[in-house]
Amino acid sequence: MRQISAAYSRALKEALRDRVTLFWRMSWPIIWLIIASFLFTGDVPPEALPRVRGAMAISMTVFALMISGMSGLPASIALDRKNGLLAKLRSMPVKPYRDLIGRVCAVTTFSLLAAVVIMLLGMALGARFAGTGVAILHAMGFILLVICASAGVGLVIGTLVKKLQGAVMTGVGIAVVTSAMSGLFAPYGSLPAPLQAFARAYPVSSARASIVDLLIGPGAVGYDPLTSGHVALTIALSIALLVVGTVLYSRLGWKLE
Amino acid sequence: MSTARNDINGASHSPVSAIYVENLVKTYSGRRVLDGVDLDVREGEFYALMGPNGSGKTTLAAIAASVITQDSGVVEIHGKRPEQAKGLIGYVPQESFSSPELSGKENLIYFASLLGYSRGEARRLTEEMLRQVGLSREGDKRVAKYSGGMRKRLEVATAMFPGIRVLILDEPTTGLDPGARRSFFGMLKEKMDATATILLVTHIGSDAELASRVGLIDNGRIIAEGTADELKREYAVEDVITVETAVRAEGVVSILQGFGIDGKVAELEAGYRIYSRDGDRAMADVVRSLDQAGYKVLRIEMGRPTLEDVFFRLTEKNVQEVTG
Repeated sequence: MRQISAAYSRALKEALRDRVTLFWRMSWPIIWLIIASFLFTGDVPPEALPRVRGAMAISMTVFALMISGMSGLPASIALDRKNGLLAKLRSMPVKPYRDLIGRVCAVTTFSLLAAVVIMLLGMALGARFAGTGVAILHAMGFILLVICASAGVGLVIGTLVKKLQGAVMTGVGIAVVTSAMSGLFAPYGSLPAPLQAFARAYPVSSARASIVDLLIGPGAVGYDPLTSGHVALTIALSIALLVVGTVLYSRLGWKLE
Repeated sequence: MSTARNDINGASHSPVSAIYVENLVKTYSGRRVLDGVDLDVREGEFYALMGPNGSGKTTLAAIAASVITQDSGVVEIHGKRPEQAKGLIGYVPQESFSSPELSGKENLIYFASLLGYSRGEARRLTEEMLRQVGLSREGDKRVAKYSGGMRKRLEVATAMFPGIRVLILDEPTTGLDPGARRSFFGMLKEKMDATATILLVTHIGSDAELASRVGLIDNGRIIAEGTADELKREYAVEDVITVETAVRAEGVVSILQGFGIDGKVAELEAGYRIYSRDGDRAMADVVRSLDQAGYKVLRIEMGRPTLEDVFFRLTEKNVQEVTG
């Protein structure tokens, strides 16, 4: 427990104190949110605007979680490898999975903070949400699934891409490309059929669709993401990604040869 | 050659192997980085492993520290395989691994917690370690604001927690100026437990000379071993003449080859170095010959051989300039 708490505390402090990284991790989704809230809403009827802005705020919150897990996490692993910290840790009586749990918990905390900031900003820009207390709790569950899936992808990248620049660019690339492909930046209805199938299966976009459905209202997504089949698939794939990342990192993440 | 068993404070201990290496082999991409290395560092001993980049010294240290594994051969830390002796090993890799975003104190608390100390114990130990390495007043500052020497002292402190018996330092003074290097080793001498064993990996002769025993490594093999004085007596009895000319030219090398033993001339960053059994006479002859050939001598001086000279005499390689 002490090793997990040490890894958590260190990773979280680093994430919050590195101002440049902090700025860019937060500013990407915030810039998109501001642009989307004002530039891409011209043909939206005024009465629908608060809900559309609400959906945009949710999308950008999910994007922030993706950036944090898919790029921030592998970047911190690659930097620790470059700086010799992983070599130092290998020489100590420390288990990689404990370091991993600490890192993932730190990413979760950071992601939740980012989610609160972006949602509040969205509300300041006119976003409005519906939903009961139960719906909000369910939405938080889906947020945790996004974090799981993103952290899983991040752990895979951090294990396989050894260089810092490579890890950052791979993470950002996967986050941006899969966001575009899965309708995070565009309405689900405007996607071609193969990408609609991808959007329904990809756990990050599927979880985002569930959050939108819960907090904006049924029908806001273009399909029903809350069927038991969809929800089960989202949970299974999110956990599977985290498990794959965990196994890879535990076995190969500290391998320095 | 002797197998001195003196620690850095001069005390002697029972001849127990702290680091035992036998016929160690490690290959990278078909190249034998370690080619049958034998090494026996006794408990309490300060042992320096000196060689150029690519000689295998960092690989040997990393295997002893359980960071990587060997292809074949035996490595034991106090009689155990390195992966079973992690609690005894304090490893300081060459890179700066402390977090610049954390304070010195927070960095040490992190490592103490990894070693299993409670928050309270970690805090108490951290205060003590910072005091030992002379960073008490800077403990709350972020490491990003530390000088290179301060950062290295902090990182060494992470390898000095109670229970650690073998300290493995990989090039700890790279990038430090001579003053910071002296201060670093002064701290190390003063603070290390007399029973602790130190394996210092370095390419700097003056650092290696502080050790009680030195092993010279080249191409994955230990080529000579002994105290610094023994190595100099055995392999570099001559005077060392350093010459700096206004221009660097083949002609200068040709002239100097006529005065150096076996015609050996070491090319330095600034100038050249030759070895002579009669330094006083050779100095006068060198100046005269270079002058007659039209090469202006900016500086010429004679000194006693260093461990770098010993290495050059054995391998014809300059330990600080060879790469790869």
